[in-house]
Amino acid sequence: MTAAGLDLADLSLVDAADAVRKGEVSAVSLLEACLANLDSHEAAVNATIWVDKEAAFTAARAADAKRAKGGPLGPLHGLPLAHKDMYYQAGRLSSCGSAIRRDFVPDYSATVIERLSAAGAYAFAGLNMAEFAQNGTGHNRHHGDCHNPWNLSYITGGSSSGSGAAVAARFTFAALGSDTGGSIRLPAAANGVSGIKPTQTRVSRYGVMPLSFSADNVGPLTRTARDCARIMSVIAGHDPRDPTSAEMPVPDYEAGLTGDLRGVRIGMPSTYFLDEVDVPVRAAIEASTSVLAGRGATIVPLTLSLMDAVATYAAAVSRVEGATIHAEWMRQRPQDFATHINARMFPGYAIPATYYVEALSRRGPILKEFAKEVFSQVDLLVTPTIRTCLPTLAATDIDNGPPGTEQVALGISTNTRPFNYLGLPSMSIPCGFDPNGLPIGLQISGRPFAEAAVLQAADAYQRDTDWHARRPAIAAV
Amino acid sequence: MSEKTKFVNHMVASISTWHGVQPPNEVALRMLGDLEKLIRDFEALRGTMRFEDEPASFEAALVEAASIGVRA
Repeated sequence: MTAAGLDLADLSLVDAADAVRKGEVSAVSLLEACLANLDSHEAAVNATIWVDKEAAFTAARAADAKRAKGGPLGPLHGLPLAHKDMYYQAGRLSSCGSAIRRDFVPDYSATVIERLSAAGAYAFAGLNMAEFAQNGTGHNRHHGDCHNPWNLSYITGGSSSGSGAAVAARFTFAALGSDTGGSIRLPAAANGVSGIKPTQTRVSRYGVMPLSFSADNVGPLTRTARDCARIMSVIAGHDPRDPTSAEMPVPDYEAGLTGDLRGVRIGMPSTYFLDEVDVPVRAAIEASTSVLAGRGATIVPLTLSLMDAVATYAAAVSRVEGATIHAEWMRQRPQDFATHINARMFPGYAIPATYYVEALSRRGPILKEFAKEVFSQVDLLVTPTIRTCLPTLAATDIDNGPPGTEQVALGISTNTRPFNYLGLPSMSIPCGFDPNGLPIGLQISGRPFAEAAVLQAADAYQRDTDWHARRPAIAAV
Repeated sequence: MSEKTKFVNHMVASISTWHGVQPPNEVALRMLGDLEKLIRDFEALRGTMRFEDEPASFEAALVEAASIGVRA
């Protein structure tokens, strides 16, 4: 908090970075602001697994010294960031939210961590997450459940639970999450922040804990769409160390944020994504389309014919791949997983290889058919990120809940998982609050590699709304 | 013994045989039973699509689909 009463951690990432570049604030003061919020509220939120304050102050002082010397500064110069605890940093803990890797210290760093560092940012904490990134709620038996800053009894969404909560609580300006079935977009929606899952292959996964080879994605959670654009411009692009990363050129995402949506056609599907949607969620989404239309977009009702296939195949792929990666531990030390984790993986061993191959073989043809059906009519899709009002931690606690709790917990990702199977860029931004005072997320999705269009629509929406700027009043514990 | 129990027992035996993994808890058995829905969903898709004859990759499909519907 400054003498004027301004909490510097309330700045957006872009505003904070620009303030450092201009010399209006110091990197040390930004770090102090984030740590002050962390010290005040971490006991309630439980968003972190580790915090390295000493290294953080060393990095912040070095950033201020570099600026004082003059010379070029990166677009994230002097910013304290924190990431889901599955991004490898040489010599630092990377627990992956697990007991099994509680002491795992990698000897190399993820490409995205190196790119953020080259842009001037540094990481000061590892954030809480679902164990091995395998739930959509934010429960964690080993490191403690992460709590929603808007109401501590409610889920944060997962698996990037700490990423969503830490950004909302002003512990950090941005956090990397990962998204295999919605794990960036769900916590973005639940915590009232902005998060983008890029196109499959758009961002390097080198040095990032795998869950599902086919569906894992790396992306940021931030306060605003513009913040996401800046991070994406830094981390996107081919990486020789990740041969699955695309060799597509990376645009200047921020430069495309004009606020003008004239000529943009936005589809609102009437099928699948609104099935059994809660009334407040539907109302928020419909109100959002009016805002987008006010910026010049044309809203087009859509009927989608392929969603049954997409949902079915998506369920098979991620289950099999997750079970495969963890097979050795499932044989030798299954008790070291939480109940809801090993229970979720177990059915993956029963799915026949022919189903798995069918799901993967049809992925490309389905994507092309989906694109012809949808993107010949519209440029973007808008849907709810989560169909229901946000549930409580208790209502989704598989380990301690009655039979049927698993259906509630797994249902959280019904609207997000299809975009992982299709590989499309998809973003969640805040678009309102439900009757319990918990955020509602608007999901915007586009063509492959059309992150710029997704970000442009999200930014345009945020120019006329203030949901993204609201700050939770975190209850004391 | 119910049909569901028979299904679960059969799957448990299959998993043990093929993978050497044992059911870790009751929740796992419940979720294993839910695979009946996945089987029905796959059954419903039978005959709706064909495999591509030529070599293909999802990465290539992403690039191809990127330009579908793009207006000049």
